[in-house]
Amino acid sequence: MEFNKSVREDPWYLRVPLILFSVLFIGIMVIGPMVNVFAQGLELGLGVAFAAMAHPHALHALRLTLTAAVIAIVLNVTFGIAVAWAIARFRFRGKAVLTSLIDLPFSVSPVIAGLIFVLLFGAYGFIGPLELSPVAQRIGNTIILGFVGLVLAWLNSEFNLLSFAFRPRWARLILVLGFAGLGCIQPVTDLDRIQIVFAVPGIVLATAFVTFPFVARELIPVMEAIGPEEEEAARTLGASGWQMFWYVTLPNMKWGLLYGVLLCNARAIGEFGAVNVVSGKLAGRTDTLPIYIEKLYQGFGAVQTASAFAISSLLCCLALLTLVFKTYLEWKNRQYLQEQVKKEAS
Amino acid sequence: MSIVVKDVVKRFGNHLALNQVSVEVPSGALVALLGPSGSGKTTLLRIIAGLETADEGSVHLHEEDAGDLDVRDRNIGFVFQHYALFRHMNVADNIGFALKMRGRPKKEISDRVNELLRLIQLDDVGSRLPSQLSGGQRQRVALARALAARPRVLLLDEPFGALDAKVRKELRDWLRRLHSEIHVTSVFVTHDQEEALELADRIVVMSQGRIEQIGTPDEVYHHPANAFVMKFLGQVNLFHGRVEDGEVVLGANDKDAVVGYVRPHQFEITRHPIGKPSWPALVVYVNAAGVQVRIELRLTDDDRSLEVIVSQDAFRELALKTGEAVFVRPKEMKVFRDDVADYAI
Repeated sequence: MEFNKSVREDPWYLRVPLILFSVLFIGIMVIGPMVNVFAQGLELGLGVAFAAMAHPHALHALRLTLTAAVIAIVLNVTFGIAVAWAIARFRFRGKAVLTSLIDLPFSVSPVIAGLIFVLLFGAYGFIGPLELSPVAQRIGNTIILGFVGLVLAWLNSEFNLLSFAFRPRWARLILVLGFAGLGCIQPVTDLDRIQIVFAVPGIVLATAFVTFPFVARELIPVMEAIGPEEEEAARTLGASGWQMFWYVTLPNMKWGLLYGVLLCNARAIGEFGAVNVVSGKLAGRTDTLPIYIEKLYQGFGAVQTASAFAISSLLCCLALLTLVFKTYLEWKNRQYLQEQVKKEAS
Repeated sequence: MSIVVKDVVKRFGNHLALNQVSVEVPSGALVALLGPSGSGKTTLLRIIAGLETADEGSVHLHEEDAGDLDVRDRNIGFVFQHYALFRHMNVADNIGFALKMRGRPKKEISDRVNELLRLIQLDDVGSRLPSQLSGGQRQRVALARALAARPRVLLLDEPFGALDAKVRKELRDWLRRLHSEIHVTSVFVTHDQEEALELADRIVVMSQGRIEQIGTPDEVYHHPANAFVMKFLGQVNLFHGRVEDGEVVLGANDKDAVVGYVRPHQFEITRHPIGKPSWPALVVYVNAAGVQVRIELRLTDDDRSLEVIVSQDAFRELALKTGEAVFVRPKEMKVFRDDVADYAI
């Protein structure tokens, strides 16, 4: 750790209490409770903790949570890029209104967000249940997984995720087609329910609704700061709209996009309020991890409580994993830049 | 004719940015669009490039109507004021971008990139990121990038605007030499009259969305079409007067009012009155540092200041000191009937 001069020269009675306060605050507010979650989860031994996690309902809840998060991210990345582009690059009537509407999910209570969907798609709702045919389900799966492949290919090429393989264009194509094919052959998401409310589509919609500001909010200032000049330069150099987006716009906003996705992911995995209203809490069918934890915690007995904490630990691990992933990407990128400098020096 | 702009009109909301503008640029020429900010020169350049569309009028590039051509199909090179280099790509990738977009083989791209790096005298910076370059180097890379696909027309928007004076001068000379080597039809925008006079074959002087004059540097400097061009192309001293029997009489400002313009170097300072007119004046300020000597005089008759420039030799001969009384005589005066409204740079 290196301090700059003015900080190092600050008097000790300012330095020491400030550092102590920061460490104490983070210890009490963040690390303490986190450790407590793990401790309580392991109170009745590893066996109980693993049994709780291996329970079919728990596994189903985990899968559902991840599914909802992935689909919410796909929707919000698409929406976020589109809206950030519109707001940062075009002048149009109602732009201020649109900008403030993006924040709506932040200001509306999640419970109301859930209720919106119940009132729209519920059995007696304004629109009512929608039907998803098996074909539509497969098409949806193909699109979603194809997008996942695309994101992975992009992450790999932009952040040098795997330094050894998947660099050329054909490898990228294989990754995208492979994932899309997987979605076509084997439905890996639970998009098969006919109804929306008290079913998976409702959970996905509610999750996407409460998380949609994250990506757009991250991208708008980034795109405004970068300005349109590089994109215009790309156009004058003969790039098509798509080439301009892929080679110039996307790499320029990659960090903003990444942070948006991570925030979106964290919130999507942990969302309780809105999902609680639309899910119907059917064990093994529409329970997400937070709802499942809540149900366990409300149950009787030490085993139930320990199980709730064990699964909470699982959720904490997901959060920590996100953090580690982010740090890894930053490290990888720094290393790449240093390599460039070294290469140039030699 | 390489570029033909005809009767172009462009509005931004209620603001008329270009008002019936017509310009012709011959093949291989180096043309300057000169004017104060807000004169529409950058808008005109962007319309030629296809980055903006004209509300009325037409643009022809090499006899071809460019109205329906997208930016990418116009085959132009555009150099932006703040370089607009792709910040995440190294210099070589920046320069090779246009060829990559055209799907050229890797070998051809790297050959062309190396050739251009030599041309801009930056052979060894190919793997650096733009942020690791100085302003002058960035501008040269931006130029190389614009030239990579061998454009038919090179457009430069205030190419030296963001650079300091010394680098600006160097790059200017370099661009002049480059243009005489590769002869690509070029149009550059500038608000610096010195830059335009020194660099361009032809100058298009613009103000408030209109063209004031088109001509060679010699023509616009020595034979300005109107008061605006006179004032914009260098410093001037103003004299109000009227026309009497075909002669200009200074002072009295009523009917037949005219304005006379005298550039600072078009005065003669003497110890004794010679010829007519010859006005008594006081030396207020002398600045002898530089190629020429700048002298501020105050006319004794109507208490106004004049800016005069004389050569070091003439200054030594006169041996002027502040506070001394002298006589000043305009050797040459341009007279225009109407004074134009003040403008801002």
